[in-house]
Amino acid sequence: MSKETMSRRDALKIGALGTAGLAMLGATNAMAAAPTEKDVKFNEEYDVIVIGSGFAGLAAAAKAAERGYKVLILEKMGRVGGNSAINGGAFAVPMNRDQKAFGIEDSKALFVKDALKAGLGINHVEMLELIADRAQETFDFAVKCGAKFQTGKKPTWFGGHSVPRTIVTENMSGSGIIQPMAAFVEKLSGCKMVTRAKMDDFVMSADGTTVVGVTARINYRFDNKLHNDDIENKSGEKKVYKAKKGVVLASGGFSMDKDFRMLQDPRMKPDMDATNHEGATAGALLKAFQIGALPVHISWIQEGPWASPDERGFGVAPLLTQQGLFVLGIAVDIRNGKRFMNEMADRKTRADAEYVVLREDPKAYPVAIGTYNTFEEQIYAAVEKGLASGVMKKFDTIDTLAANYKIPADALKETIKKYNETAKAGEVDEFKKQTLKDVKGKEAIEMKGPFYAIRLVPKPHHTMGGLKINTKAQVISANTNKPIPGLFAAGEVTGGTHGASRLGSCAIADCLVCGMVAGENI
Amino acid sequence: MRSKKTLLALGFFLILGVMSLVGSEVKASSPQLNITPEMKEKFPIKPHHEKLAFKCTDCHEGQGDEPENFKAIEDKGCLSCHKTKQYLADRLKFMDALHTNPHNSIHDGPKLYCDECHYEHKKSDNMCLSCHSNDVKLWMRATP
Ligand SMILES: Cc1cc2nc3c(=O)[nH]c(=O)nc-3n(C[C@H](O)[C@H](O)[C@H](O)COP(=O)(O)OP(=O)(O)OC[C@H]3O[C@@H](n4cnc5c(N)ncnc54)[C@H](O)[C@@H]3O)c2cc1C
Repeated sequence: MSKETMSRRDALKIGALGTAGLAMLGATNAMAAAPTEKDVKFNEEYDVIVIGSGFAGLAAAAKAAERGYKVLILEKMGRVGGNSAINGGAFAVPMNRDQKAFGIEDSKALFVKDALKAGLGINHVEMLELIADRAQETFDFAVKCGAKFQTGKKPTWFGGHSVPRTIVTENMSGSGIIQPMAAFVEKLSGCKMVTRAKMDDFVMSADGTTVVGVTARINYRFDNKLHNDDIENKSGEKKVYKAKKGVVLASGGFSMDKDFRMLQDPRMKPDMDATNHEGATAGALLKAFQIGALPVHISWIQEGPWASPDERGFGVAPLLTQQGLFVLGIAVDIRNGKRFMNEMADRKTRADAEYVVLREDPKAYPVAIGTYNTFEEQIYAAVEKGLASGVMKKFDTIDTLAANYKIPADALKETIKKYNETAKAGEVDEFKKQTLKDVKGKEAIEMKGPFYAIRLVPKPHHTMGGLKINTKAQVISANTNKPIPGLFAAGEVTGGTHGASRLGSCAIADCLVCGMVAGENI
Repeated sequence: MRSKKTLLALGFFLILGVMSLVGSEVKASSPQLNITPEMKEKFPIKPHHEKLAFKCTDCHEGQGDEPENFKAIEDKGCLSCHKTKQYLADRLKFMDALHTNPHNSIHDGPKLYCDECHYEHKKSDNMCLSCHSNDVKLWMRATP
């Protein structure tokens, strides 16, 4: 059917409906669009409304409340902190004080270069510069709120960074920032947080240009049994809140949204495991698109190449590989006993390399192998945990390890021999691995054993794409190419900053910096 | 919530075997509500509460006498007997050493809603499992 005939038919239909029908049609259309202030009655009034209680939301709320604003934080889950509360607590702070103390040279240019390399060059550089400029200040703000970090030691070296620049929280979780920050925010007068409260719609000004509030449901119960909670869940009681200064959307990423992530990448089947909290869905992001926010890089979904098929979610494997096996150890293709990637490359490079293997044979999970010298001191306790839960296995000899994973033993021995010799000689590694400098003259994999091993599978972890914001955290409109008045956003719900793939430990920096910026500018 | 506390006390007697004491007392203090076998099946209660001979309205206080209209009793209801979240966290303090105390977890502290994990009328759910599928069985028994 051609467009012309369709539209003529539609016109005919509308004609037949008559005036009453037209009015009805109008009502349905209005329901599909965001409500305006004429359609609602406000129950409560605030200066600022923040959607989401993760790093981005709490930083925005803290800054706005410090400025004397009356702030309401809405969090749809029963827990505070979304992905931020289950995060690994690793915070990239370019040009930080510990780097200086340990003689590590870093610069804004180097940080931007690293991020661009991992992001395949499509990153929005002005956002990276903003992060580099303000990460240390944001770190100090987190400390002021009560966060505790493992400072005074050499920063941790994350994959894809050309120098160590990452500082980890004392409890090795993002909760080490979230809990004190939530307490800080709740102590500020005029700041209120409500959990199990879901934002449903933006409320627009009468002329439809400006965000003036939100509709929400309190006593909302997220239901993990539903296929699509955003669409199917009808729980809770409706409230309408006015935001005199504006709304900060800090609703996080969508790695757990079975429908939306599969639209972006049809290979991400609904039953695919991910590392995120259950509430990481696209509902709020889609509401921002509905009022004209510009989408950026939506289909770039980062998969964590350090996860394990032998446990659900994030689990313990990412710690044991990133700060363990990958640093001095190797990852091998079990079918031939050979290495197939730089174990310390950026995440996308590694996940892609693992997929080359897994798309040929979906059960041939690659195996990471290393010895005790590879584990950083901070994770000694996790080593025991990994062994007890069976995610990591320990073998006395390479032969028993090879037999367990059905790896050709001779080929594996040859791989390790070559890897060790190159590292010992201080020569450039076959995959240009950058973390072997310290083992020059020594064995990277200590042949006396015992040998530790973890099976690997990439899991959806971070959604790089989202709303376009400027360096004031204002959301840009597709209708005007200018900021949407009254709408700010920060954190994983925004896009562009990290390009095709985010470097590890840069999310905390991004979320806290942009959250703070939103709170300053609103 | 006084009636519930009285009931609890009575429940302990019951466990001690002082059966005859209970029946008449409970009837006198509870609003009229017949618990039919169908209702029992539809809204089973946890064995530890069953032992204490709880009636619907001991928890669903002031919610009328129509079970279909009863609402969740929320944290306040649970804590009217179970004291405070901090108290519950302290009872499992020995688990803090290995960071496995579900009532004082690394991620949430002593702050979670009770019914994030504990359900009365259906099987409870251990929220830790969503990320620690292998560890939880080493850390704790099934969620009551
Ligand atoms: C397991 C794990 C480990 C990680 N480790 C690290 C690390 O060590 N270093 C690092 O830099 N990054 C790490 N990341 C990434 C980082 O944690 C996230 O990108 C970051 O937490 C996102 O913060 P946010 O504030 O944008 O969103 P979140 O922290 O996810 O918060 C968003 C909140 O908004 C709520 N919400 C959503 N929609 C609505 C709505 N309609 N109404 C009300 N509330 C809503 C959600 O429930 C959620 O609580 C990790 C991620 C995961 C999953």
